[in-house]
Amino acid sequence: MSHIRHSLQIRHVDAGSCNGCEQELTALTSAAYDFQHVGLDWVASPRHADALLVTGPMSDPMVRPVERVWAAIPSPKWRIAFGDCAAGCGVFQPAYGTHGGLPEADLVIRGCPPEPGAALQQLRDAMRSTTPPQS
Amino acid sequence: MDNSWIRQNVALKEAHAELLTLTATRNQSMRATWLDPVSGRQELVIVEVCQERFPSLTSVLPEVAWDEREIHDVFGYVPEGHPNPRPLLRTPRWPENFRPLRERPDVRPTWQDADPDNPALTVEGNGVTVMKVGPTHAGIIESGHFVFSLMGENVLHLDTHLFQNHRGVESLLESQTVDGVASIVTRICAADTVSHQTNWALAVEALSGYEAEAAVSLGRVVLLESERVLSHLNDLAQIPAGVGFQVAHQQALAMKEDWQRGLQGMYGHRFLFDTVRPGWVAPPDPENLLRLVYALRRAWTPWQHLVEGHHGFNDRMADVGVTTHADVVRFGGQGVVSRAAGKGFDARTLLPLYQDLRPVPVVESGGDVRARFNVRVREVEASLRLIEDAAARLRRETAAGDIPWSPQDGHSGQVAVYTESPHGLNVHDVTMDNGRVVRYHIRAATYRNWPLLAHAVPGNAVADFPLINKSFELCYSCADR
Repeated sequence: MSHIRHSLQIRHVDAGSCNGCEQELTALTSAAYDFQHVGLDWVASPRHADALLVTGPMSDPMVRPVERVWAAIPSPKWRIAFGDCAAGCGVFQPAYGTHGGLPEADLVIRGCPPEPGAALQQLRDAMRSTTPPQS
Repeated sequence: MDNSWIRQNVALKEAHAELLTLTATRNQSMRATWLDPVSGRQELVIVEVCQERFPSLTSVLPEVAWDEREIHDVFGYVPEGHPNPRPLLRTPRWPENFRPLRERPDVRPTWQDADPDNPALTVEGNGVTVMKVGPTHAGIIESGHFVFSLMGENVLHLDTHLFQNHRGVESLLESQTVDGVASIVTRICAADTVSHQTNWALAVEALSGYEAEAAVSLGRVVLLESERVLSHLNDLAQIPAGVGFQVAHQQALAMKEDWQRGLQGMYGHRFLFDTVRPGWVAPPDPENLLRLVYALRRAWTPWQHLVEGHHGFNDRMADVGVTTHADVVRFGGQGVVSRAAGKGFDARTLLPLYQDLRPVPVVESGGDVRARFNVRVREVEASLRLIEDAAARLRRETAAGDIPWSPQDGHSGQVAVYTESPHGLNVHDVTMDNGRVVRYHIRAATYRNWPLLAHAVPGNAVADFPLINKSFELCYSCADR
């Protein structure tokens, strides 16, 4: 992800999460983690985003909205699965209304929900890595 | 048609009973469970579904409008006489005959190749603008779809389209054993997880005739109140954010973070997942609990002076997003939303769990954003006192949960259990047969409060919607399941 060594702008979409992941994503913006300090931020429009971050096991009504947000993000771009549900290994995987999380994730941040300190470290590691973009 | 169904339910409502659940079974029957808010006694009303139809209560009991639409979607039973029987959970992507709770789906449905949006109810006329928001949002928030009809800046009508997060939790819980349920119920909603976990524990214990020892109950009270403090701190951080009061927002987030770190140190989890099970509670640590409460108070008092003394902030919240007492009663509103509008119901006053801790409902009368903010402020203080009281008692009790009780195999029966979650009355209606779940219905407080939000918004400026929404702070996952 060499293009994003110093700055990674992320668009978040909830696809059936329990709100635990959302609360921890909000915590990243608080003074305790201050993730803007290291070049990370949430953006309001996919047009401004480098990455799509999805939480939840991919509830059926969110399949198309997630596809549309992904299509609206300019390349190069990355998919981030945040939490066990989006990673495809949460407790709701067998439920009829879900689609097994986010497919083809470039970065998977595990946890139920992931602890913000550990999540921040994984995001920073990904920014420093030289993995070429997948899309 | 059976008119006694309507007559009995209306009579209970007129006697000021609280509706716990209205739900159906796949055996062509429906039941409404009511709670007497003084005695705690439950009343069950039953009706048979006749030729796939049942008499709708909505025109006389508008609080069940969603319940009946949901029953139509997931069971296929038609609410005869429902004034607005459009789909609630069902989307155009559902296969035609897909009734997920009618026949247990062994395989995932073959979804239709269509967009998930249902038609919206909008206002038509000269100068009316329709504004659609969601299901994806510009910030960090759960998914929901809102359709506003606007005249200039003013909201004429709000049509909420929730259930974007519908996972199929009730179906997933069916045929689980006692061990399988806990990890799922814990994750229905992170904001109300302890309440959901405690409901499941109370259900199994009630069906087994087991009564938890005092130390276990006190340990659960500590967890339930710690969850209330956590959830209210989150909401008290979000409301100032809704008006750009960043100092109050950030300071409240900092208090929340410290609280979560303290809970993680004691219980191993920042949201208290997997801390209550049938016959068991995660062992409390009274000394560290008291230290954590003390540390929070040191940050809380200056923060409280800041927000209470800030005239601009208080003016900004006054008379915005008003919910009337009459609407709260009519729609069966719950929790902070109802107590801020003068309805004094708090399920904790009825729960044997709290024994002689004697929680007192916090009530305000304004029904606006400020009243909801103030109720949360006072409830945080009351919860801290309850935690201190419970911790002091726990110091005197023998260690809880040393030898966990295990439910015996093969218990059967039906029970409606409830707790007061941070969002209000949270009910689980559980039916088990021979140690397995045959029906698990979850009625969280937010399900009752969402229609009230839609009523509170018209007449306000559309720019105030985020503020009003944050003052309700309704979890989507509890309602969507």
